[in-house]
Amino acid sequence: MNSDRYEAKRIAEDLEEPVDEASNLAQKLGLHPYPVNYWIVNYDEMNELIAYGGFQKRYPHWRWGMQYDQQQKQSQFLGGKAFEIVNNDDPSHAFLQESNSMADQKAVITHVEAHADFFANNEWFGMFADDPDAAAMLARHSETIQEYMQDPDIERAAVEKWIDHVLCLEDNIDQHRPFAPVEIDGRDEVLDREEDIEDLEEKLDELNLSEEVVGQVFDEDWLEAQRDEDGEVTFPDEPEKDVIGFLRQHGMAYDRDAEKAVTMTDWQREILEILRREAYYFAPQKMTKVMNEGWASYWESAMMSKETFAASDEFVKYADHMAQVLGSPGFNPYKLGLELWQYVENIENRREIVERLLRVEDITWRNLHDRVDFEQVQELIAPDSELQNVSESLDALDPEDERIDADALERARAGEFDVEKYPWKVLTYGGLAERHYSLVEPQNRGFVSRVGQEELERVSRYMFDDSRYESVADALEDIDYARGWDRMREIRESHNDVTFLDEFLTQEFVDENDYFTYEYTQSTGDYRVTSTDYEDVKKKLMLRFTNFGKPTVVVEDGNYNNRNELLLSHKYNGVMLDLGQARDTLERVFELWGRPVNLKTIVKELDEHDIEVAKRRDREPEPEEQGKLVRYDGEEITTRDLDWEEVEHLAATDVDYDTKPDEWLA
Amino acid sequence: MGLKDDLDRYREVGEERRQDLAEFIQYGDLGQSRPDEVQIPIKIVDLPEFAYDQRDMGGVGQGEDAEEGQPVGQPQPQPGDGDEDGEPGEEGGEHEYYEMDPEEFAQELDEELGLDLEPKGKQVVEEKEGDFTDITRTGPSSTLDFEALFKKGLKRKLAMDFDRDYLREVLKIDGMGPASVFEWARSENIPVSKAWLEEAYDELSSEEKTEWTSMDEVAENVERQSTADRIRREGVDQIPFRREDERYRYPEIVEEREKNVVVVNIRDVSGSMREKKRELVERTFTPLDWYLTGKYDNAEFVYIAHDAEAWEVDRDEFFGIRSGGGTRISSAYELAATVLEEEYPWSDWNRYVFAAGDSENSSNDTEERVIPQMQEIPANLHAYVETQPSGNAINATHAEEVERHFEGSDNVAVAYVSSPEDVVDAIYEILSTEEVEA
Repeated sequence: MNSDRYEAKRIAEDLEEPVDEASNLAQKLGLHPYPVNYWIVNYDEMNELIAYGGFQKRYPHWRWGMQYDQQQKQSQFLGGKAFEIVNNDDPSHAFLQESNSMADQKAVITHVEAHADFFANNEWFGMFADDPDAAAMLARHSETIQEYMQDPDIERAAVEKWIDHVLCLEDNIDQHRPFAPVEIDGRDEVLDREEDIEDLEEKLDELNLSEEVVGQVFDEDWLEAQRDEDGEVTFPDEPEKDVIGFLRQHGMAYDRDAEKAVTMTDWQREILEILRREAYYFAPQKMTKVMNEGWASYWESAMMSKETFAASDEFVKYADHMAQVLGSPGFNPYKLGLELWQYVENIENRREIVERLLRVEDITWRNLHDRVDFEQVQELIAPDSELQNVSESLDALDPEDERIDADALERARAGEFDVEKYPWKVLTYGGLAERHYSLVEPQNRGFVSRVGQEELERVSRYMFDDSRYESVADALEDIDYARGWDRMREIRESHNDVTFLDEFLTQEFVDENDYFTYEYTQSTGDYRVTSTDYEDVKKKLMLRFTNFGKPTVVVEDGNYNNRNELLLSHKYNGVMLDLGQARDTLERVFELWGRPVNLKTIVKELDEHDIEVAKRRDREPEPEEQGKLVRYDGEEITTRDLDWEEVEHLAATDVDYDTKPDEWLA
Repeated sequence: MGLKDDLDRYREVGEERRQDLAEFIQYGDLGQSRPDEVQIPIKIVDLPEFAYDQRDMGGVGQGEDAEEGQPVGQPQPQPGDGDEDGEPGEEGGEHEYYEMDPEEFAQELDEELGLDLEPKGKQVVEEKEGDFTDITRTGPSSTLDFEALFKKGLKRKLAMDFDRDYLREVLKIDGMGPASVFEWARSENIPVSKAWLEEAYDELSSEEKTEWTSMDEVAENVERQSTADRIRREGVDQIPFRREDERYRYPEIVEEREKNVVVVNIRDVSGSMREKKRELVERTFTPLDWYLTGKYDNAEFVYIAHDAEAWEVDRDEFFGIRSGGGTRISSAYELAATVLEEEYPWSDWNRYVFAAGDSENSSNDTEERVIPQMQEIPANLHAYVETQPSGNAINATHAEEVERHFEGSDNVAVAYVSSPEDVVDAIYEILSTEEVEA
């Protein structure tokens, strides 16, 4: 054993206890994570893992090199930060960097436990497979692609290019449908016909006809006519969102020398399938980034600061780390996630309190604010001091109390573990919920009193049994401290970022956390704050998170113009495409279709004059919406205007992502 | 394969995608670079995808007291995808830097603009040994030119050799003895010795001595062989190496001239030189500096700021200074002349004197002082760069006057820069002026 490994082993031994206890604590807090295997890695290995998206083996590609390069530069400037890497697998694999401080290691471990819980319980992760077996899958993919690259009959550059082409479409999958490999047996008619034509060409070749005869009689037009004989075939029946899947099934490669489409080779088809599978595997992570990161940060904080998982000397470092992660400037999805979870917890807990209060005699939604002394409420909901100071009140604790883990209490009293260090062991889930009760946190002290009339009315509408308690004190005696956590776990099961934001982003949240929207304004030529209204903030966030924050592009026709051309359509939601990128992407799609490709879209056009006028009058110009068809035939890109009727079906009428006020800058 | 390989491939791809040099000079962020290292931003090499138009998309920010209509600066980093496990808040790194050294920069600019400036060596820095092309008769054995020795030896052998068999036959002619054959051989230029002939003659039996009747008979019956043929057939068994054939190679003595350059950057810092004009000067001068640094072995820079007075400054300050006073361009040339005279003698240094400003000058200064000064300061190139973002101001005629006076000259260039788009043309104008002379 060399000294490096020896060092790693020593670190591993030191970490054994925190790892075990973090897992125990996570269970106590109501989480059900996948088992996690921890690996100690050095700095270089860590950077490699980050570059590879959390796995040890990926197929050869320059993108990982790019990520590695960025990673190295970042850590150069920012110092060795504690990175947490955990992958979605059962068991999950997590990686700890050996040079990290103990405080960082513990933070990572607690964070990882929460991620593993999210992976295991969020439904969207089940869309790929119940048991992803990810590490093995990705390693297999890596081997397959490597073999192709090393195959002397295949040019390595050709393989790399092919991967590039497919990766341009990695977000063009149908992530809301469970993953299934592309069916190859149910081959399409058109594809077969395509092969017939190829056969025909071959047969003509075999006839050994002179060039002239072929040229005059069996020319391209004649062949084309054979194709058209059956009349128009339009497929798919419904617009297909899984563009990669569609290309896998019906696409062809383009042979530059022969200047025609040819059937994809085996390696081309297999790589398409491999990359499609990986796109589906990573999709849930992309769809739940805000929730998942917020979730992990929430529980990390609960374990690290509230359960003092970090020893007091480590805590300063930990707080520093958190400040760094959450305090980075600008919009930060981790922070948004954490804030939203905290908000969800608070409103759910407040709801519990409000429901109890409304059941007090003589208290109704109209007079609640007058009748209730919120100072008193704060006192009444405070957790029992025994739960707060477990180690000091060990003798006073009642094993019969359902908030107490009787077993553990006995062991604690026998001195089998250090209560000072692990007070939570003595408590049950209910006990911990009370101990962690969010509404008594200093930053949340005014939260209950801020409940709005509207919310009160809504709650009371479904309320029966509304005179159950004689006093506020009686009512609050009964509150269920675990209600917030219970609800949070439900939400983490079924939501993704889009639904999460849609349901929980309220004006109260936006005001409290200072979110705003901004837009580019033509009249000033820069970005301006446009709104602090939650509906607007929500709109913009939905735009960022719906469909991975990408425009929806579907296959509308695989036999466009009855000439086997591909027609993609951009479902226009009021925000136009980056046309430059769209053109570049279309050129890549051509390589996977083998024949001309088209894209229908709607753009907003502004003429210079309107912008000038707008600048002078300080009013935003009204852009003209115009249908466009972008076409690439293998040689050049052409763009032409389309009549509105041809694109009308693509324009969504029920959404509007524009947050500019009507009276802009007036 | 593996990450190392991926990294190499990324570097290759990145190289292909860095920003076009001309575009970089016109609009790029020059400030990221240091004099000895040019940093050209490259867009992160990523693949295209169907994406929203950034401007049309807008976004969400976080911060206290945001009010409608308030500018937010550049769009804040937004959550992207593709970095499943990255840390937050660092996704906005829009540009990678591609690093070039000035040599590479100069080379690229040559290619891009079709320049071909050949720097001249000036100062003799040392005499040193060049290639081993001189020859002497003595020397260490390691420098012995064996090839020459062998050739000489071979030549010698060829010269001394003769067809022994044939001569033996000639001796067999009835009536010919060693003396008569020797006579004959002499006339035939056959390098045979009398002693050899006598010896050979003695070895012949008496019958043999009368085998042939005449010279003609021998010529008919015996094939005469040239030395070359025989050597070719039998090989060389011995080459006579002689002391006098020995030649030793000796290195040539060459004068190493260093390609020295001094670039004088002069800038008008008077009140009329507002921000935009100042920026245009920086945009034009900086690439020129890089280019010349890359072209020459040793480049030094002199920065002179002037209004009505001139003073020398450091590079760091040079582009930032603003003063209030009027403008007298000749003050700068006076200072330049002094500095060049004292520190950079024309015999040892290539000199470039670049001045820039908005063409405003005090009356008659150009005609009476600056033009004579420019003529008097010997330099590879004098240039004046006029930066006038908003067309010409009245009385701003310095550039025109200089241009008119030096029209057709091969060491004075005048360039006009009114926007970043003109920068590349100006650089070409300046650098190609000297090219004509070279």
